[in-house]
Amino acid sequence: MELLKACDLAKSFGNTHAVKGINFHIEEGRCVSLLGPNGAGKTTTLKMLSGLLEPTSGSIDFKGEKAKDLREFIGYLPQYPAFYNWMSGKEFLVFAGQLAKLNRKEAEIRSEELLERVGLTNAKKRKIAGYSGGMRQRLGLAQALIHRPKLLMLDEPVSALDPLGRREVLDMMREIKEETTILFSTHVLHDAEEISDDILIINAGEIAVSGSLGSVMEKYRQPILHIEFESQAADWLKSITSYSVVSEVDIQGNKVSIVLNDMVNGKQTILQDIVDRKLPILKFETSQTTLEDLFMKVVKA
Amino acid sequence: MTQWTVLYRKEMTEMVRNYKILWVPIVFILLGVMQPVSSYYMPEILDTFGGLPEGTILEMPTPTGEDVLMQVLSNYGMLGVLILVLSAMGVVSAERQSGVAGMVMIKPVPYSSYILSKWAGLLTITLITLFIGYAASWYYTSLLIETVDFERIFQSVLIYSIWLVFVVTLTLFFSTIMKGNGGVAFVTIFVVFGLSAVTSILGENMKWSPAAMTEHTGQVLLSGEPGSGFLLGFITTIAIIIVVLIASIQIFKQKELLE
Repeated sequence: MELLKACDLAKSFGNTHAVKGINFHIEEGRCVSLLGPNGAGKTTTLKMLSGLLEPTSGSIDFKGEKAKDLREFIGYLPQYPAFYNWMSGKEFLVFAGQLAKLNRKEAEIRSEELLERVGLTNAKKRKIAGYSGGMRQRLGLAQALIHRPKLLMLDEPVSALDPLGRREVLDMMREIKEETTILFSTHVLHDAEEISDDILIINAGEIAVSGSLGSVMEKYRQPILHIEFESQAADWLKSITSYSVVSEVDIQGNKVSIVLNDMVNGKQTILQDIVDRKLPILKFETSQTTLEDLFMKVVKA
Repeated sequence: MTQWTVLYRKEMTEMVRNYKILWVPIVFILLGVMQPVSSYYMPEILDTFGGLPEGTILEMPTPTGEDVLMQVLSNYGMLGVLILVLSAMGVVSAERQSGVAGMVMIKPVPYSSYILSKWAGLLTITLITLFIGYAASWYYTSLLIETVDFERIFQSVLIYSIWLVFVVTLTLFFSTIMKGNGGVAFVTIFVVFGLSAVTSILGENMKWSPAAMTEHTGQVLLSGEPGSGFLLGFITTIAIIIVVLIASIQIFKQKELLE
């Protein structure tokens, strides 16, 4: 079922068009990642969906109806969550719960539940001022979930964390994904590939690619060769760009990535060439383009 | 419980935790007590500092209780206003700067509840401060100089509180539209003192001005009756407070809250 739909959503700040009329929808129960380079309009899009920012034009439908105030149904974790540092972790959660229209008792119970879940039970009475970055992120996640939102929006939930903290938050997201719809933005492609069902790649305020992770990968997948030479082989590499099986050559020092149109023929031709010319190679590897390759292609285009 | 109550309770808890509820009234008590004490001991003070040559005959009229309380209010008008504005300048701007205002507004909280809870918090501390400080001053005045009629005290403090409410409402407004705390304090103080100065210079033409409330306060103290044009001033002041509050809420709605 369609949970949220954005129609021609646009936002400009003065003369800069941060988001240029995008259309997409989010299915209920999916985990959707919003990918894009810095400044692509990810945060602006999320803020418009959350109701914190008025769109310049366009509309947002929630469950098929025109959205008025979505904040009740949405849990939001900003990129840099801020808290009242003089409160304890639990106090803040109860406060957030009450603001989200829970009564005091419900808020207390729900807070305990979430503190347990995000692993902050031991720190619940400490002042937030003394929390580490990872703890703040987890508290931020807990406050976003406090009112059992229909849609959880996370803005760069793992970018600022160390590998351990990143792992923790990702594991939590995997659990949460069973209960609610998630939309999260990131520029860490590996994370998106790991936990999302659908992806939206946004570049310069426009949607470049969208669809389920599987179908997007399928559609854009291309065979690729990674070759490593003992010394540079620039001359030969220049010459192969004219071959019909080769679609792209990307040289990085002694390494080269060759995107092929056809794996079987391409591999034959290239190997034959290497043998004929007695090129000194260290490594010859065949693989498929990854999300990162797709991302780079889309963003550079 | 409505979200407004939750936010108001948070305001009060915050003021208790950062001791604002303690030090702002203490400053007002000090300001209020110093005046009667220094009036009473003036001859001794002059003597101690020995500024007068031998043989000087000094006749100091003891000020009346009303005079002393007038002085207290004029101290409140300068230092007191400064302290109030400085303590309230970050009320919205600091929360916007840290981003926590966005964390609050991401929950289904009406924009008006946020601003009005802040306003109510400021009102609470302002009125507590003024009443306690003024009561202390009245107590010391009656102890050292003479007792001033309680009814006059009560009426004058009520009228004076309208002026201070106007001052903190203005602080809230500038704190909503501006981001830097220092700037908020500067602009508020500039407007408040500017308005006071213009009101006292133009006198007759400025009867509507909120700053005229301070003059009515003095007249109530001295004569028991506010000056002419009190009603006009009272109504416009309340009207200005309401308009400023509505403007604050509307402007707050337009502000971008999460960076």
